[in-house]
Amino acid sequence: MRYIRVFPIIIGLSILFGLAFSGLAVAPAFTSSITVPSVGLVAYTPSELKGRHIYTREGCVYCHSQQVRSVKADENLASTYGISKSGDYYYDRPHLLGTARQGPDLSNEGQIWRREIGEPARDYLIGHFKNPRDYNPMSIMPSFDYLSKQELSDLTDYIQSLGAWKSPVESSS
Amino acid sequence: MTSTQTNSDTITQTKVLSTQPQPNPFRIHALERTDHAMQVWLFSGLFWLTIAMIIGIIGAVKLFYPEFLQSVPALAYGRLRPVHVNIGIFGFMSMGYLGAAFYMVPRLTQAPLFSETLGALTAWGWNFNLLGGCLAIMMGFSKGKEYSEIPFPFDMGFGLLEIAVAGNIFSTFVQRREQRLYVSLWYILLAIIPFPIYYTLGNANRFSGIEDAIVNWFYSHNLFGIWLTTLGLATLYYIVPKQVKKPLYSHTISFVGFWTLAAFYPWNGGHHVIWGPVPMWVMSASVTASLAMFVPVFATIVNFGGTALGALSVLKTDVSYRFSILAYLGYAGASLWGSSLAIMSFNAKIHFTYMTIAHVHLGFLGFGIAGLVAFTYFYLEKSRKLSYSQSLAEWHFWLTVLGIVGYVASMAAIGLIEGNEWEMGNSPTGTMMLRTPYNIVRAISGGMLLVGQSLFLWNIWQTLTTSPASAEKSLVPENSQN
Repeated sequence: MRYIRVFPIIIGLSILFGLAFSGLAVAPAFTSSITVPSVGLVAYTPSELKGRHIYTREGCVYCHSQQVRSVKADENLASTYGISKSGDYYYDRPHLLGTARQGPDLSNEGQIWRREIGEPARDYLIGHFKNPRDYNPMSIMPSFDYLSKQELSDLTDYIQSLGAWKSPVESSS
Repeated sequence: MTSTQTNSDTITQTKVLSTQPQPNPFRIHALERTDHAMQVWLFSGLFWLTIAMIIGIIGAVKLFYPEFLQSVPALAYGRLRPVHVNIGIFGFMSMGYLGAAFYMVPRLTQAPLFSETLGALTAWGWNFNLLGGCLAIMMGFSKGKEYSEIPFPFDMGFGLLEIAVAGNIFSTFVQRREQRLYVSLWYILLAIIPFPIYYTLGNANRFSGIEDAIVNWFYSHNLFGIWLTTLGLATLYYIVPKQVKKPLYSHTISFVGFWTLAAFYPWNGGHHVIWGPVPMWVMSASVTASLAMFVPVFATIVNFGGTALGALSVLKTDVSYRFSILAYLGYAGASLWGSSLAIMSFNAKIHFTYMTIAHVHLGFLGFGIAGLVAFTYFYLEKSRKLSYSQSLAEWHFWLTVLGIVGYVASMAAIGLIEGNEWEMGNSPTGTMMLRTPYNIVRAISGGMLLVGQSLFLWNIWQTLTTSPASAEKSLVPENSQN
């Protein structure tokens, strides 16, 4: 009988928390735009997944976002690569959307350093990982010179996969 | 555990040693023993705060001098940043304010803490768990999502320890002798009960893509909203009326503030992905809830404002109360700012900029540090009856204020500049060089905060180790201090 006054509080809090839980944790699982992959989206290859793991481990996500929004600040990106959709991230685990842009957005990096370019693109990316200031003296990106050759190659595979599956944006107007 | 033992050993020894009857010089230490668990939590929180500051400053220096500590994988920026953040959340804020909760609960329920031993054990477990988790991140085992980087088994360690803490506190509730529940206790209930649910959801899930992102932010924002904020507000609601020696302005307003906070805060998570690739309804719900947060924040502003009004003279004499007011301003500022950042048109400009960093740090420095420091001074003075050095406390206060203002102003300014530049078509690479001076100001402000914090630690260390004698000088003969 002692805690009779605590119970209404606990029940009230459970209802309020439960509402938010169903809204933000349960409902998304039943939203079709989230649970269906975008047209043309390709799953990651084993080496790309390894590269993705290195990207996660080294905390690249803290400075690089992977999303293009329909806002004025992203106009250049949106007109070149299109706006990111929920289905684009179907295979991403964990998600790497990012919350800051201390460096450029990387969601379409694979369309800049395309696989078709071959060795020059890979050489640039690997050299840039090792010492970004060789390419841009103003860069504040850490140099990842401690990664092994294999790790650098996997990371490059992953970066080149970003947005590479997208078909070119057709100018609609 | 061991320190309890040592403590009681000392007391027994003293009893044996003192041959003549005299006022027990260790009466204070007896109180210390009563509040053993609370002290382990509180002082661990202050320890982790110092570590978080040091790592923060290293990170800040790396942002304008990237060669600093370069080529050491464990000290790379991308690994230190999550360590800084996790220590800030799980070390400094969680532990410090749980210390305050362990202090408040027995006093407000008029019942002894269910188990001091369990309380102290969970605190030590929490410490080692956090240490293990941070070392794991530095060694490259991060889980990779913000605020859930700490890998298995350390992440689940926190979940289990929190359940033990919640059980301990809740059992005290059940055994309470005071039937009325003061508002601080409501906030503590809200903090301790849902934590295991969203913590487990955020840390042990197999979602992918956008669902993963939404759940990630649901979890993360609950950490801030109904874990750290509630514990912090509970502390302020407890100490401010005691500091000004007046009852709380209005219990009705705190009732409204509490229930609206509980209703709206858990919905805030989605505002981290406004304009992102998430369904429109996630954005609308979160933006609405973020703006609705104005109600509980306004309730708190009015309530504390009303309590503080007319007690302005206390500001001049009581540094502890001054820190409370700083925490009050920090809370109001960070919350209203947070709501405004969720306005969609404003968010379109400043999302991804340093303004987010400015906002978070106003919350953690302005509200988090100031509130915990206010509580620590309050505890030393009112509970332990110790007098700390006023001049050191003054230095601590003004260095903290300067550090907060320097940090928040520099980051907010560059955030606004970045947002405007990006809207004019400049890229993040293009605005990189603009940031350098602001990042230098940030590192200097961090340095000031660290100096203030060191003075504070020195002050409380001196107070705790030398003062028991001076506080009871009139009662205790000189030769009995050892």
